[in-house]
Amino acid sequence: MAPIEQSESPAEEPLVEETLVEEVSIDGMCGVY
Amino acid sequence: MSTDAEPVTGTSSDAGSADPAFDPGLPHRCSPRVALRPEPFGALVYHFGTRRLSFLKTPQLVEVVSGLEHHPDVHSAVAAAGVEEAQRPAYLRALAGLAANGTIEPRP
Repeated sequence: MAPIEQSESPAEEPLVEETLVEEVSIDGMCGVY
Repeated sequence: MSTDAEPVTGTSSDAGSADPAFDPGLPHRCSPRVALRPEPFGALVYHFGTRRLSFLKTPQLVEVVSGLEHHPDVHSAVAAAGVEEAQRPAYLRALAGLAANGTIEPRP
């Protein structure tokens, strides 16, 4: 059996920059208690 | 690397970028129309005018926002909160966003 070649992936960079502020949408929640 | 950026005032409201009028060299404060509720993860922020809810995701950012009124400019508030220099650009971007949505404002 041929050895499975594992491709060497480069160092993974963070795909998403961590944000310090996150906005939350609360539209449509009128009357929700 | 020069990071001096003159505040640009204008009436155009281009979406996607930070408030062009945000000048971290000016004294700022948390808007009186905003309620800030500290939480273990940071804080909840509610703007009574825009009815917008936001999360401040680090206690350090909460400290910066809360301390704005006690410092002569934003840079001083950021430094006083102990933000590492490498993280300050990210904090300034976040503060520019908070200025754009009215959470913080220049104080007289």
